[in-house]
Amino acid sequence: MKEVTVPDIGNYSGVEIIEIAVKPGDVVKKEDTLLTLETEKATMDVPSPFDGVVKEMKVKLGDKVSQGSLIVMMEETTSEAVKIQAPVVQTAQAPAPVVAPVAPVKSAEPAIETQTIAVPDTGGANEVEVIEVGVKAGDDIKIDATLITLESEKASMDIPSPYAGKVESVLVKVGDKVKMGTPIVVMKARMEAAPTPAAVQVATPAPVQAAPAQQAPTPVRQAEVFHDANTAHAGPATRRLARELGVDLGKVPGTGPKGRIITTDIHIFVKAALQALQQGGGGLSVEKAPEIDFSQWGAIDVKPLSRIKKWTAKNLHRNWVTIPHVTQFDEADIGELELFRQENKQAAEEMGVKLTPLIFIMKAVVSGLKAFPQFNASLAANGNDLVYKKYFHIGIAVDTPNGLVVPVVRDVDNKGLFDLAKELSEISAKARDGKLKSAEMTGSSMSISSLGGIGGTAFTPIINAPDVAILGVSKAQLKPVYVKDAFVPRKMLPLSLSYDHRVIDGAEAARFTVHVVEQLQDIRKLLL
Amino acid sequence: MANNIQAKIVVLGSGPGGYTAAFRAADLMGEGVVLVERYSVLGGVCLNVGCIPSKALLHTAAMITEAAEMSKHGVDFGKPNISIDKVRENKDGVVNRLTGGLAQMAKMRKVQVVEGEGKFTGPNTLEVTGKNACTITFEHAIIAAGSRPVKLPFFPEDPRIIDSTGALELSDIPKRMLVVGGGIIGLEMATVYQSLGAQITVVELTDYILPGVDRDIATPLYKFIKPKYENILLKTKVTGAEAKKDGIWVTFEGEQAPKSPERFDKVLVAVGRVPNGKDIDADKAGVKVDERGFVPVDKQMRTNVNHIFAIGDIVGNPMLAHKAMPEGRIAAEVISGKKHFFDPKCIPNVAYTDPEVAWVGLTEEQAKAQGVDYDKGVFPWVASGRALGNGRPEGVTKMIFDKKTHRVLGAGIVGTHAGDLISEVCLAIEMGAEAEDISLTIHPHPTLPESIAIATELFEGTATDLMNKKRD
Repeated sequence: MKEVTVPDIGNYSGVEIIEIAVKPGDVVKKEDTLLTLETEKATMDVPSPFDGVVKEMKVKLGDKVSQGSLIVMMEETTSEAVKIQAPVVQTAQAPAPVVAPVAPVKSAEPAIETQTIAVPDTGGANEVEVIEVGVKAGDDIKIDATLITLESEKASMDIPSPYAGKVESVLVKVGDKVKMGTPIVVMKARMEAAPTPAAVQVATPAPVQAAPAQQAPTPVRQAEVFHDANTAHAGPATRRLARELGVDLGKVPGTGPKGRIITTDIHIFVKAALQALQQGGGGLSVEKAPEIDFSQWGAIDVKPLSRIKKWTAKNLHRNWVTIPHVTQFDEADIGELELFRQENKQAAEEMGVKLTPLIFIMKAVVSGLKAFPQFNASLAANGNDLVYKKYFHIGIAVDTPNGLVVPVVRDVDNKGLFDLAKELSEISAKARDGKLKSAEMTGSSMSISSLGGIGGTAFTPIINAPDVAILGVSKAQLKPVYVKDAFVPRKMLPLSLSYDHRVIDGAEAARFTVHVVEQLQDIRKLLL
Repeated sequence: MANNIQAKIVVLGSGPGGYTAAFRAADLMGEGVVLVERYSVLGGVCLNVGCIPSKALLHTAAMITEAAEMSKHGVDFGKPNISIDKVRENKDGVVNRLTGGLAQMAKMRKVQVVEGEGKFTGPNTLEVTGKNACTITFEHAIIAAGSRPVKLPFFPEDPRIIDSTGALELSDIPKRMLVVGGGIIGLEMATVYQSLGAQITVVELTDYILPGVDRDIATPLYKFIKPKYENILLKTKVTGAEAKKDGIWVTFEGEQAPKSPERFDKVLVAVGRVPNGKDIDADKAGVKVDERGFVPVDKQMRTNVNHIFAIGDIVGNPMLAHKAMPEGRIAAEVISGKKHFFDPKCIPNVAYTDPEVAWVGLTEEQAKAQGVDYDKGVFPWVASGRALGNGRPEGVTKMIFDKKTHRVLGAGIVGTHAGDLISEVCLAIEMGAEAEDISLTIHPHPTLPESIAIATELFEGTATDLMNKKRD
């Protein structure tokens, strides 16, 4: 009689049995389907690993199984090895975000095999330090036992053993620097549990996961209900801590012997919950993006995000999900403005500055802020008050090789066009050189993001909180405009005003935009 | 002493629950803790007229019994020469030492002790009458006013009719003594008086001694005391008592009742205790008291009034010092702002009889009644080398497990030192231990605690000191 267990089915566990194809007494051939499993992505048949007779079913419909779960007892017609993994046949496997199962486990493999375990993909971190060695030569360890613990700048991570077996020798010591592929231990592995492929991918050196370093494998499994909080396997100290922190013990996975919840588990649970909260932002519960190995589809290159990009990403994401944005589009006829600009080009150059349209737009926006003070405002953190600003500082989005920065030009209302032009070029140069101080990037009334030098007809800029509006500027183009019974070519500047609808009504936004347009169409108005 | 006292926390009652609450509160919050006690000594029933003096006397009793037993070992100490005054003195010495220690600790912790009887006069005021009469205005109160013995209405007032307090005074050794009530208190006092020479009759209303304990655990005690006592009358009740010059004449009714009234030199009434909830004018503070006199509380020991807490006997059964003390801590900790809860999985019970009986968690009878899928391992001490060496092989250790998860659900132990043995099972239950956690823990040999490990092995079918049960 032989045990047939669930073979390697990728990274899934707790997979439901949706069909059982055999019953005791059935004669089955090798590769005949014994039962069918269903994950959220695919169904897969578990075939018989050999010819034989079904003696006893160990599972029933609806049971949840994982790799290694005993499914059926069978009498084999030809005798081979003692314990056998049924190879798996996957049908309709969608491009799953899991490492595809490695070659089906060879059936009649010798039960014990010497294996060298190497550092698996640690998620982008380069050389990391060994801070703890959990095993020593002679140890008999279980699958998933911690071999070593690594620490990068951001996180520590345990490297689990992909096999059960006896440790022959340990090749690293505390303080060693290791990276993916560095051999850790040599062990006599017992093959009753197939190697989990994810942990021992040593093959190609290049494919490093794109996951950020802080995504170290945490010991917290997905939050699911493990048990009833009242009967949770936890001692008095753990129960007290859970009470103090308001943790539902029923949701905490225990890492102690026999799943006992220990105080460390509570700490980890709370930490994970806090992290999830930060990532989710304001209690939005969104599915975490899956970890994807893009190298499975072709060559890739992975570079870390720049510091600025990461920081911007956080702010933009927060602003995008927490501010209800509406964008108002309009066009300004800047023919007159352009004329004036060309006329004064020479004079500007003599002053050593460039008179760009942006300077005029800044002035027009300030005029708008004066006419519509609710645009020169910020929502107080308490959500009940609006803070009106008596100053007119304009943030200018600047594209730099390292990412987006928004330096702020102060007191735009009190500065002449040449002064502004000079300051703008200085501050832009500083931004490109990465020399802006953080004080130079805060305190704006409103911001302007100009893509006019590049192209485009309109876009929806994200508000630079705590501002309540941002003006997007696209490329000015000659367009036929119907003036006095005829179409005339006019230079039209597309404007896109994104505003915080909690603070500003649609009509106000339209009026503000019209006001700005009017200023730009007749710049004499800026003097009023 | 000032007539008006401002208290951050006032604790009403200085029994084990009360003094624990007061001391913990003082450690957490500093000065401003006031402890009100109606007697001149701290410690309440437990220290003065309960646990502690009874244990001093029980030790004396045990020594008398053991010395007598030694004659079987070839060492004859002869008939003991008992000086009852000295026995009493020793007991009082123990009590005084402990209560004196409490007074000292109260002083060191700057807990203000007020002697007198406290009653609420409002949600933030307590009136104390007696030696240190005063009014206490408090921010928080902890009611720890305890319980008192139940009095039976048909017993006349007579110095020869006593309760546990009277029994512990040990005024004399009666020739013939009736113990009404076969529970823990009655049997403990019977143990003391019997060893000091009294002829004991126990009368119990239910069908066995120690109601609530599994029969197989109570039986060894029954068998041990039956031949020593004059009589154990089960399913029998007292219906009347008459105080005459030559003694108290008691009439019985029930299955094993003597036909005619019997004469006793002393009658100990030990039929239970009632809470003192109705004696503190709790209603004036708005605190709810139920019809039996208990003060209902939540898991943080808070009464229905937010700033008033209650602990110990007065909040419900079991009325045990080792329940009151952690409750007292919780109340003090909650008041100091900690988010603590009284959340034990089990509270052990011990009868310090000879032999002792201890039980914790589910009894087998409870498991059956609740339909729990359980199994047990029972180790009779006749197979314990240590118990045999001690000359006390009558004990039994019974472990009760969840059949499916093998988790420890409860235990019943009878035998010498059973009360000391039960702690291991308490810890096992609190930690959610399974059978293997106990059987794989190495217990020193040869000891009585070993019996817990072997009983567990018997449940698992892995025992080697006895034949394992046949399993299907």
